[in-house]
Amino acid sequence: MEQLFKIDLKKINTSSQKESLERKKNLELFFKTGLPNKKDENWKFTDLNSIINKNFKKILNNNEFEFDKKIELINDFDHNNIVLVNGTFKSCDIQFEDKEKVKIESLNSLEDFECQKNNNLHFLNKALSLGGFNLEVQKDYKCKKPIIIYNYFTSNLENKIINNSNNIKLHRNSELTLIEYNIGEKSKFLKNTFEKVNIDEGALLKNIILQKTKCNGFFYKNISGSQGYNSSYQNFILSSGLKFNRIEIDMNLNKENCNCFILSGLCLGKKEHQEIKTQINHLAPNCKSYQKIKNVLEYDSNGVYQGKIFVKDIAQKTDAYQLSKALILHDEAAFNAKPELEIYADDVKCSHGSTSGSIDMDAIHYLMTRGIDKATAKKLLINGFLNEIFENIHEEKIKVFLQKIIKEQINGI
Amino acid sequence: MKSEELKNQEYKYGFTTDIENIRAPKGLTEKTIKFISKIKKEPKWMLDWRMKAFNRLKALKEPSWQKPKYPKIDYQNLYYYSAPKSIKDKPKSLAEVDPKLIETYNKLGIPLNEQKRLSGVAVDAVFDSVSVATTFKGELDKKGIIFCPISEAIQKHPDLVKKYLGSVIPISDHYFATLNSAVFTDGSFVYIPPNTRCPMELSTYFRINASETGQFERTLIIADKGSYVSYLEGCTAPMRDENQLHAANVELVALDDAEIKYSTVQNWYPGDKDGVGGIYNFVTKRGACKGKNSKISWTQVETGSAITWKYPSCILQGDNSVGEFYSIAITNNHQKADTGTKMIHLGKNTKSKIISKGISAGHADNTYRGLVDISAKAKNSRNYTQCDSLLMGNKCGAHTVPYIRNKNSSSTVEHEATTSKINEDQLFYCNQRGLNQEEAVSLIVNGFCKEVLQQLPMEFAVEAQKLVSISLEGSVG
Repeated sequence: MEQLFKIDLKKINTSSQKESLERKKNLELFFKTGLPNKKDENWKFTDLNSIINKNFKKILNNNEFEFDKKIELINDFDHNNIVLVNGTFKSCDIQFEDKEKVKIESLNSLEDFECQKNNNLHFLNKALSLGGFNLEVQKDYKCKKPIIIYNYFTSNLENKIINNSNNIKLHRNSELTLIEYNIGEKSKFLKNTFEKVNIDEGALLKNIILQKTKCNGFFYKNISGSQGYNSSYQNFILSSGLKFNRIEIDMNLNKENCNCFILSGLCLGKKEHQEIKTQINHLAPNCKSYQKIKNVLEYDSNGVYQGKIFVKDIAQKTDAYQLSKALILHDEAAFNAKPELEIYADDVKCSHGSTSGSIDMDAIHYLMTRGIDKATAKKLLINGFLNEIFENIHEEKIKVFLQKIIKEQINGI
Repeated sequence: MKSEELKNQEYKYGFTTDIENIRAPKGLTEKTIKFISKIKKEPKWMLDWRMKAFNRLKALKEPSWQKPKYPKIDYQNLYYYSAPKSIKDKPKSLAEVDPKLIETYNKLGIPLNEQKRLSGVAVDAVFDSVSVATTFKGELDKKGIIFCPISEAIQKHPDLVKKYLGSVIPISDHYFATLNSAVFTDGSFVYIPPNTRCPMELSTYFRINASETGQFERTLIIADKGSYVSYLEGCTAPMRDENQLHAANVELVALDDAEIKYSTVQNWYPGDKDGVGGIYNFVTKRGACKGKNSKISWTQVETGSAITWKYPSCILQGDNSVGEFYSIAITNNHQKADTGTKMIHLGKNTKSKIISKGISAGHADNTYRGLVDISAKAKNSRNYTQCDSLLMGNKCGAHTVPYIRNKNSSSTVEHEATTSKINEDQLFYCNQRGLNQEEAVSLIVNGFCKEVLQQLPMEFAVEAQKLVSISLEGSVG
């Protein structure tokens, strides 16, 4: 592991002796355990160790944050923005919101940033993280416009690793739509992100993850969250275009009546590998969780879904649903799924479904008999297949924008 | 719901027969294996095979990933062989069989002497580890069907045994399978010649007796081209406080156009209502559809054992081959089950179907764990999986852990699972029509399991239906 990772802790500005010792300790822990591989049950379908070894000869920690370009903003709808360059906070503009209602700042202190599960990549993150952003929405404030995080990666990141951590907190009865928009240039790099999400009573967070263009990035992101009474968390994952991406979502539904939605629509192309791993812990009665994962797999791409619903014995009247569907368009593509249920309460409604297969030839035939050529028919069907996940987005402009992105992705494959 | 008030029905088959035993030296050593091989009068190749497995075992570690945890088993503190003494002079007819054995069978409900006349089922009864009597030999012989204890097959049909033993579960497999390969004592051997339909259901009743004896059965069934066989396995065990290990291996081989149907009703001692005692049922069952158009179907009703940990699997090698798995797993009190199947699609146009019904009550834990793997070469394959769980009370657990892999674009995999409790409306409806709570639950649960129950042969279906009701008596109040 030391041969691959040429880590120089001196590159990191540390504020105290204690911090630097802590970083050193975590780095040693990471070297001891190494990158996760197939033997780890959580990584059964994604052998990160071999993927990284195949693609990287050496990995250096990043100290490039210079940035002088102007980011092309999205014009489709009004929004606030946060700019992150190579994972660290650069600037923000929240012109549409009331003063002091939304707090955005650079996150420096990583204390009590604990992950729900023991994870080797968390050691690495703790050793090298340079922070990220801290976002808070004050109580009873509903954001008027969404916030887009322009997550920009510069071209000089070849063989570098970025470690960052973000903190998102929504106070009581607040509301926010947060769009993460990744823009990467051609370099091949690693990103290791840990994000903490706290949603208080009655609050609503919509989180949309998007990818602008194809990118040679290898992304790993862990979102650990907890939800209060009557709160809602909705996550839309549309991050097609990355060479490698794994998003882990561990959500604790701590209090009654909260709901958690995870929806994903991905089109994977050549040599792409994406995994979505979720663990929804129903710890209180009357909560609802809903997961819908849709994958379109082309060439030799690899799609993975590992989802787990855990229902504690007191969490009666739980309504939990998992659905994963995959369209496999090419013989070299593969789809792996492990939709798991662990249930200890009896008065619950929990179910999951998983299907994978090729496109329905009867449907194609039907469209062709109506004068639509085969390629268009195929695209039409894929579009219909993926569009289903937008049911929960009610803002028309955002919906149209996302549909446009999906369409571009379909045209790209 | 008053799951705490579960009436723990006394175990009906809890008795032991007092017969003096011959035992292998205690512990898992080379000496023990040589002893077993010697007492079975095995040829050298068989002993070598066992030794190979034993050497492999030394390098293996006991798995620990499973959901039900159990106290560490001291393998050196077990007897690996025990046989009823009267085996030395094998009886020529039923009249010569030790009357005590006959009595045991009668208690078990296998009236050997009436078997021929009544049910037409040939029974190869295993008392502890040695087969004692085999019936209906004549009729099977006429068709050229071989149905005998595996120790006999090793001597009389070495070519068949050599060719197929370990061909589906190799000696280098996982810990318990390898342990079985090293120390297996007896079991059944079935060979159905080409284009033969076995005229009756073949059946073996296993019986665990003798304290501290792990039972290591080995079953090998070969269905040659174009043949058909249905095999029944039913189990009861005496009441005892110590946990007993049962690590059997069952291998099925289906050649071109052959079909094997393997049904199990397992009702071993589950431990008392506080979870003391009970059998550890760690069984490796695997079938290979080697030939084209072959079919293997597993049906299981698992109601007993403290821990059930098994995954009857199908390797679908031949083109157009079919694998099926129907399962009911009922756990009550402190029972634990981690069961499911593996369907490995290798051939073209292969199909598999999995129907699993798990029912959990009391403090029990019930896990379905399964794998559907469609390889890149298995074009036009299809799988359908349905796992339903029923929970009674909030002290039990129901878990589903399916692994789904699809590596080609022409295959379709479908999986669905639900977890729920017994519908109040259904209960109310039954009550309204004069059924009491227990009868209503029994009716609903039997309905819930119907898809699986109807797969069982007639001989088993009635017993299984009763078992389903008995296992859950009093769990809803």
